[in-house]
Amino acid sequence: MSQTLRAPRASAPGRRSRVPLRSANSPSSHGRSLGGPLTAVPWLLPALALVGVLLVYPFLRSVYGSLFEDNGFERSFVGLDNYARLADDPIFSRSLLNTLMWVVGTLLLPVLLGLLIAVATYRMRLGGVVQLLVVLPYAISGAATAVLWNFMLTSDGAVNQVLRAVGLDSLAHPWLLEWPHNTIAMIVASTWQGTGLNVVLFAIGLRAIPRETLEAAALDGASGWRLFRHITFPQLRAVTVVVVGMAIVNSLKAFDMIWILTKGGPSRSSETLALTMYRETFRLFHVGYGSAIALVLTVIVIASAWLYLRRQMPTSARD
Amino acid sequence: MPGSRHPSLSPPPMARRSLLIAATAGVLATACGSAMSQPAGKVALHGDNADWREPLAEAGRAMRSAAGIELVPEVIPSLESFEQVVKSSLRTRKTPDMLKYWSGYRLQDLARTGGIEELTDAWEEAESAGWVDPSLRTAFTYRDRVYGLPMNLTYWVFFYNTEVFAELGLTPPTTWDEFLNACATFKAAGITPLHATTDGRWPAFIWFMEVLSRQDPDFYLGLMNGREDYTDPRAERALTTIAEFAENDWFTELDTNHTDAAASVVHGTLGMMPGGTFMTANLMTAGGEPGGNIDAFVLPMANPDAAPCMIFESSALVCTVKGPDRAEALEAAAAWLRPEVAGAFSSTLQDGSPNPRVAAANPMVEGIVRTARERELTMLNRFWELGPPELVEATVDDLAGFLLNPSSARSTLATMQERAEDAWQVWREAEQS
Repeated sequence: MSQTLRAPRASAPGRRSRVPLRSANSPSSHGRSLGGPLTAVPWLLPALALVGVLLVYPFLRSVYGSLFEDNGFERSFVGLDNYARLADDPIFSRSLLNTLMWVVGTLLLPVLLGLLIAVATYRMRLGGVVQLLVVLPYAISGAATAVLWNFMLTSDGAVNQVLRAVGLDSLAHPWLLEWPHNTIAMIVASTWQGTGLNVVLFAIGLRAIPRETLEAAALDGASGWRLFRHITFPQLRAVTVVVVGMAIVNSLKAFDMIWILTKGGPSRSSETLALTMYRETFRLFHVGYGSAIALVLTVIVIASAWLYLRRQMPTSARD
Repeated sequence: MPGSRHPSLSPPPMARRSLLIAATAGVLATACGSAMSQPAGKVALHGDNADWREPLAEAGRAMRSAAGIELVPEVIPSLESFEQVVKSSLRTRKTPDMLKYWSGYRLQDLARTGGIEELTDAWEEAESAGWVDPSLRTAFTYRDRVYGLPMNLTYWVFFYNTEVFAELGLTPPTTWDEFLNACATFKAAGITPLHATTDGRWPAFIWFMEVLSRQDPDFYLGLMNGREDYTDPRAERALTTIAEFAENDWFTELDTNHTDAAASVVHGTLGMMPGGTFMTANLMTAGGEPGGNIDAFVLPMANPDAAPCMIFESSALVCTVKGPDRAEALEAAAAWLRPEVAGAFSSTLQDGSPNPRVAAANPMVEGIVRTARERELTMLNRFWELGPPELVEATVDDLAGFLLNPSSARSTLATMQERAEDAWQVWREAEQS
């Protein structure tokens, strides 16, 4: 993008006709203007209206709503009280911790596992088949995955039955009933479903690495871990940026699996911020408090996405 | 467009205008029309339970023959989504005409929004015809006015397998000691005696409700109506009793849902399952035959000096003020308790009926009704319907925490009391306003 914008200024006037670089608003080859700076506005309006009505207005409305104590029917202005309450609310603290566990877990498991499976299989003879098997769960909806994992994780479920069958009774556990086991078990279930997409993305990245680069490295004596660490992985950087970014956002908005497996319980022990927001707003009708939680979640999502992309994007663009 | 290079491809101005008008009209019709309005002679009834679709349709057919109006069941199969739709739409013209709602405080909560119709006249007509049990009226009343009509009458009982009881030499317990003996006998026989669960959240209150009401029914009512404290020794005694059951290892794993528990009772791997008679369908699906290999008893009183009681649950038929077919909805409500309509509903649902003239849906329900009448049991509304909904929603989570950690009785009750103080204050302030 920056190259496109800089190119006309850097080029000599004589070269302009051979390299017709110009932006949408720059003069045409006949020197006749297609319109002033406002020409694009009508074309932008539908998109702006959509974003404004569906995104910006609800966001601002939530910010405003978070300043009220609101039961859905009556409300009174309380200023920043809802935010002060967050600090003292043990359920919010647990929810924040669970959200953090989801972020870390989703970064560690599906991303690393996805990379590992992609690297291990992309040159295998039946690698494509293996990748297909890993990708299959991605085609199942989150809700269906949760129902499936419910059969696995209940006290009499498949996981405990297998553990007992192989003599590992001591490892059998009521997985969904106790914290932090319930959150960890759900992250594992989410990993089962989400790893496949990461495998596909990493496999695409691996295929895009020029063969010459790898051959040159091999001639220089690199192999195994050194080849991966210094040649393959750096070449995957662009894909990794996407995969990690998606993992962060997905983990922050985790909802369906938790809702179906535990409804955030027992005793609200497995709620994430998204669930706490939903329960406070739509079950307990603490609409103002729920809006405050929504705002905190929004700030976390935007801040983490911005910090991450700010750190990654310029470098990857130079690459 | 004047000066256009392709005038022939452009639609004539009138055609374009007509198109725009048609499109705008279409959008407006979609946006402003009452999407939920039914054709004349039909009225939609919205509920949260998919199992009620067929019983409602059956009642609707009976109503069409009896009163010339048909009920069309509409199910939003999620308690959360249903309540969200109701509360967010009640003051708009898009609200459903009729609702299957909860009785008690949840109905009061809805009534005080002004969004639902008063049905006192319909109740009194039904009562004078002998079509409704008058003792249920308070559960549907807010400020001396009736706002809902009872749809079903669920009795909260303990389901058991008659064949397994017979094998173990047990009879349905009529005293608390006999009940404890039955639990011990099951345990000794290697069968888990009792079902307890936190699955689905709400069932966490079942044991607290059952034990507390049998130890002290007056205190149960006082506590549920905000007149007593959770930190009272009587509440602690109830939790201590439950903790003893847990310590005796009498409970199933707490993630055993009602469907699986019902199947376990039928297959003889679970001794007794507390539940409402609306769960009869689960037992039948698993191969149980109510009145045959499956039956139910009312949990005996732990305190024999207290007035004997049992828990009931009754859903409310509600008409909204702003529903698109309001007049027909009121007409349908007036016909709901007619014996042929209420009978068609309860026999399809296999549950109890609020209309005493309706025959019992099965021998098991018949036995429960007979027990309630013979022992003159006081009917107490369920935990879920008593107290501000916001408080109940929070305390079920506290009780789930207690079931998972039965040594936390005191801290659980202290937390519940804190919540109760806040919630009752808000409720009473709203009452005054």
